[in-house]
Amino acid sequence: MLCEKCKKRTATVFYNENINGKTQSYSLCGDCAAKLREQGDLQDITSMMDSFAAPFSALQTDLFGGFFGMPMMKAVSAEKKCPSCGCRYSDISKSGRVGCPICYDTFGEELSRTIQSVHGTTAHVGSVPSRHRALQARAEKMKALKQEIQEAIEKEDYESAARLRDEIRKLEADKTEQEGA
Amino acid sequence: MAWYNTSGNAWDTVISSRVRLARNLNGYPFASRMNEEQAHAIIAKVGAPLESSGFKKIDFAELSPVMATSYVEKHFVSPQFATLQTPHVLFLQEQSGSAVMAGEEDHLRIQSILPGLALEEAYKNASRIEKRLDEDFDFAYSERLGYLTHCPTNLGTGMRASVMMFLPALTRGGYMESLAVQLSKIGLTVRGLFGEGSGAAGGMYQISNQITLGISEEEILRKLSEAIQQITDSEEKARKAITGDTLDRLTDRIKRAEGTLKYAYMMTSSEFIKLFADVRFGIALGLVTDISYEELGNLLVEAMPATLTLGAEIPPKTEAARDILRAAKIRDFLQRKEP
Ligand SMILES: [Zn+2]
Ligand SMILES: [Zn+2]
Repeated sequence: MLCEKCKKRTATVFYNENINGKTQSYSLCGDCAAKLREQGDLQDITSMMDSFAAPFSALQTDLFGGFFGMPMMKAVSAEKKCPSCGCRYSDISKSGRVGCPICYDTFGEELSRTIQSVHGTTAHVGSVPSRHRALQARAEKMKALKQEIQEAIEKEDYESAARLRDEIRKLEADKTEQEGA
Repeated sequence: MAWYNTSGNAWDTVISSRVRLARNLNGYPFASRMNEEQAHAIIAKVGAPLESSGFKKIDFAELSPVMATSYVEKHFVSPQFATLQTPHVLFLQEQSGSAVMAGEEDHLRIQSILPGLALEEAYKNASRIEKRLDEDFDFAYSERLGYLTHCPTNLGTGMRASVMMFLPALTRGGYMESLAVQLSKIGLTVRGLFGEGSGAAGGMYQISNQITLGISEEEILRKLSEAIQQITDSEEKARKAITGDTLDRLTDRIKRAEGTLKYAYMMTSSEFIKLFADVRFGIALGLVTDISYEELGNLLVEAMPATLTLGAEIPPKTEAARDILRAAKIRDFLQRKEP
């Protein structure tokens, strides 16, 4: 539902007003509701979580809007489209929303400025999905096996090298199977 | 039992704790570029494991606006979620305060909300649900950026931890602005709740982590908990500093608020929030003894417009009728124990 006032943003505040015995209902976006509230036109707010007229939230929004609006970045990649969702960087900077997970690869360079500005870093620490944990563990094991096989060959221990080669093949087969699944 | 009417840790200064995890499924565009078919497909997919682990499915497309808003008032969904025009479903385990919004800004918003100061437990709850879904689904994730989200502000852990604090003394003392500045320097955000313009009327604030990338879940919780402890200390100090004439005037105000809550015939929700804050302060200071946090807390949801309307035998048609109904509801809750 669109805001009745600006007809641009989504309505998040619903309000019933009684004027001279006649009840009227309004659907407003947070911004318009805040404006009306300042003017004293809105007194009874239906949704209590939506008190976005709060003094401190404005800071964050402005900050973020500013980062996206960098004209320089727009010029660089005006024509590029995400192969997965068809999103352009200008769509992202306009809405502040990314089109799909692949967009983060497609517009990696452009977005990294924004991400750096918002978070102060572009490197994740913290929990990892189980599927990735398995992949990471396999990659580490593969690296270790390759190191071992190298050492075995250098020592001319061909028996061990053959065993390690089989292990590596098995690991690779598992990987293909899992990625195909 | 829920966050608003069950006693919790540090209830003098903390009303509730919440942890929310944003997750998206690989192979689908984000919400704004998704068609209806895809949105339904995601809801159906995640619905199976959630429903079999005891979550109730609530399809918002089938709810009246009043019902939808009532879930907002209970903090189970965001205000944005309640008004979406695209398919959106809430999976709810009301008893444990656990909820999964499917079809919000991110495909999934997994959240746990608990009474009082209970960040660790809220994280454990949300994380348990997340792990269950992680078994079945491939979440959008990159090694560098962590969990991939519709809005880059949620990248990394996708985690927003927040605590709803009750800070009447700091508010009265005019300390909230400078506190907000200090907190923003360490990556925390303060938002006034129930406020009109200044956000100060109810003395209630939501304090949450602003940054989600480059910081682990444990670190977010640790940082927020430390800040909450410090804010609590300052609030306690500010409460103790109220003495003499100031205390007399405050006591008078609190007693009047108690009287108005118990005996008024009509009440707007903004007046209610002001009186609620005064009486809650009164309980904390030991000035109000025959109303408990739990009884009062109930009203934080029950006296809100949508929930109030839902609970009425005859839904109020006018603003005045609603204000009469609200006053009656409050009287009913607070006068129960009176002789
Ligand atoms: Zn508007
Ligand atoms: Zn894309």
